[in-house]
Amino acid sequence: MRIEVLFPEYCSLFGDLFNVKYLQDCLPEAERIDVSLRDEPELKGEGLVYLGPMSERTQERVIKKLMPYRDRIRELIDSGTAFLLTGNAMEVLGSYIQCEDGSRIEGLGLLPVYAKRKMMRRHNSVFLGDWNGGEVTGFKSQFTMAWPMEGAKGLFTVKKGVGLNKKCPYEGLRVNNLFATYLQGPILPLNPCFAKSLLEAMGAPGVKLAFEEEAVEAYRARTADFHAKVR
Amino acid sequence: MKRTPYFYLVLFIAKLTRRLLLMLGRNATNFPGELAIWLCKSFIGRMPKPEKVVCITGTNGKTTVANLVEDVLDRTGADFYCNRNGSNVYSGVASLLISNSDWRGRPTKKLAVFELDERSSNLILPYMRPDLMLCTNIFRDSYKRNAHPEFILDFLNKYIPDGVPMILNADDMMCSGLKPGNPRTYFSIAKQPGDGGGSRNIVQDVPACPKCGGELEWDFRRYHHIGRAVCKECGFASPRAEYTVTELTGTDMQADVRGRTCRFPLANSAYINVYNSLAAIALLCELGLTPETIAGALGSIGISATRYMEEEANGRKAILHLAKGQNPVACSRAFENIRDYPGKKAVILFLDDFFDAQHTVENISWLYDADFEFLADQSVVQLIAAGTRHWDVYLRLLLAGVPAEKIDHMPNTDGAAEALRTEEPDSVFILYDVYTISLAEDTQRLVMERLKKEAAKNAD
Repeated sequence: MRIEVLFPEYCSLFGDLFNVKYLQDCLPEAERIDVSLRDEPELKGEGLVYLGPMSERTQERVIKKLMPYRDRIRELIDSGTAFLLTGNAMEVLGSYIQCEDGSRIEGLGLLPVYAKRKMMRRHNSVFLGDWNGGEVTGFKSQFTMAWPMEGAKGLFTVKKGVGLNKKCPYEGLRVNNLFATYLQGPILPLNPCFAKSLLEAMGAPGVKLAFEEEAVEAYRARTADFHAKVR
Repeated sequence: MKRTPYFYLVLFIAKLTRRLLLMLGRNATNFPGELAIWLCKSFIGRMPKPEKVVCITGTNGKTTVANLVEDVLDRTGADFYCNRNGSNVYSGVASLLISNSDWRGRPTKKLAVFELDERSSNLILPYMRPDLMLCTNIFRDSYKRNAHPEFILDFLNKYIPDGVPMILNADDMMCSGLKPGNPRTYFSIAKQPGDGGGSRNIVQDVPACPKCGGELEWDFRRYHHIGRAVCKECGFASPRAEYTVTELTGTDMQADVRGRTCRFPLANSAYINVYNSLAAIALLCELGLTPETIAGALGSIGISATRYMEEEANGRKAILHLAKGQNPVACSRAFENIRDYPGKKAVILFLDDFFDAQHTVENISWLYDADFEFLADQSVVQLIAAGTRHWDVYLRLLLAGVPAEKIDHMPNTDGAAEALRTEEPDSVFILYDVYTISLAEDTQRLVMERLKKEAAKNAD
């Protein structure tokens, strides 16, 4: 099992790399490959490819870096390789990012979504959504809102909080085994049910999670708090 | 900016409001300024300024540095005012200008020292040009307010006026690159025993050369991105400093001050406190004070009791240590300080955001950027996580490698002191956020009572 982490030195702004650390704790035999922005991605098509949130300038560098690999990434998505994209990483694979001055940053065009960026309007919110018969909790802190395009399939159904944009009924996108969400930070240790689904998509069904009982208790307490406090 | 009759009317209303608030027993450090800016957006720009304005900003340490500067100025009889008891955002600055002026707005003192929240610089700096500006460092901070360091760097670069003399941290490659065209002075701590090239922290906000993205060769990396490096590709390097600490002891430091060797007393020799003291010394020297005058005044100044306070009973200590919530770097510094503190330690963690705990679910992603791994040290014998998010802190501690049997956790903060196993630790650290000082102080009192009872029991 391989976990390929793209550009971890730049793409982890909100504790996001703990998603990978948690997967390593769940799969001690997994091989982690960190690909620096100075190096070339491997994209071998087994296990998981992970990309976390990044600054706006880094987004442009990452798009430039991955553009030559666009067809390979499409091939991997189509063939069912697991991808996890958190925070604004989704925008890298999306259609385009519209900036405040009207300019556009073209993405890889692999996901049916575009984003609008407003640097002086940071959006912060908490999120509760449906996932696979259970619930997912998370947090959003971002300069962009996203709009799905034709053919888009949402990842989580919004119960509390904001989806891809304030009117969108769902958060994130799913294409085969690609999971893309704006939820930031350590979504896997915080959401055992989602972590299990991702592990299944990676080809490791039924794996016991690291500190599973404790993670489930923490998740239950947090979910109860969401229901009690968040409108 | 022109002072119109409307400006004078707004000033009159703000001053009257301040008087009323003071008569009602309120401190009036924020509202008069907020009202004035609401009535006149460019109020700060129109207010006359003192002869010299100094601003202190940065992610971590700005309050401590401002307090040190103000304490030294106070002891040397300087004619100045500051926002020590007020707010560091735009309304606090406006309130201070109002309270330190006559009815026509003319300043009553010659020097003003403002601690400045970096996120408020867009609302203050276009209207008030500093004569000297100090930036302590730039780190990842609250995700909600500060987004990421590159955003803050761009923000400061945009709003700090061109030409303002800067005092910057030479050991922080982001901070040292601020306003590259402005005149500048740097401070630094030279490589010390124990400084290595590797990274022990999760957060690394300068992962590569800030100029070209090339690989950095670190002479040493003290913590996070604090250290000295050179780019292997473009040669960009940490700058040479005019104020350099060359030697540290537990109680004082030797520094090279523009070519002169000087000694200064230290209230605490943890690196963050050395950086804070050094930044204050550099600023005071640039204001014209002599190193001897500064050293004399520093001798009688400790760290603010609201940030760090030790109490001792029968050789064992209960220590209050500020660990700003939602600030992973500040918490990591606190965790490392605890690991490095001598003896066996117990730690009480009050990490919840005070306001979020009441009204919503706190964004706890920051727990996974903070180096809880420092607390997995053998010398830490017990950890007590108390508060709404106790289960989340418990899980994070387990993932950091802390054995479950060392951890107690509970929703109720009142039970934290009671959960302490008093027979084990030599010191008990109580970590708290700025809004939970009274909770921490109450807990410290209870811990002291328990330590004294334990000592009495052993004496029997």
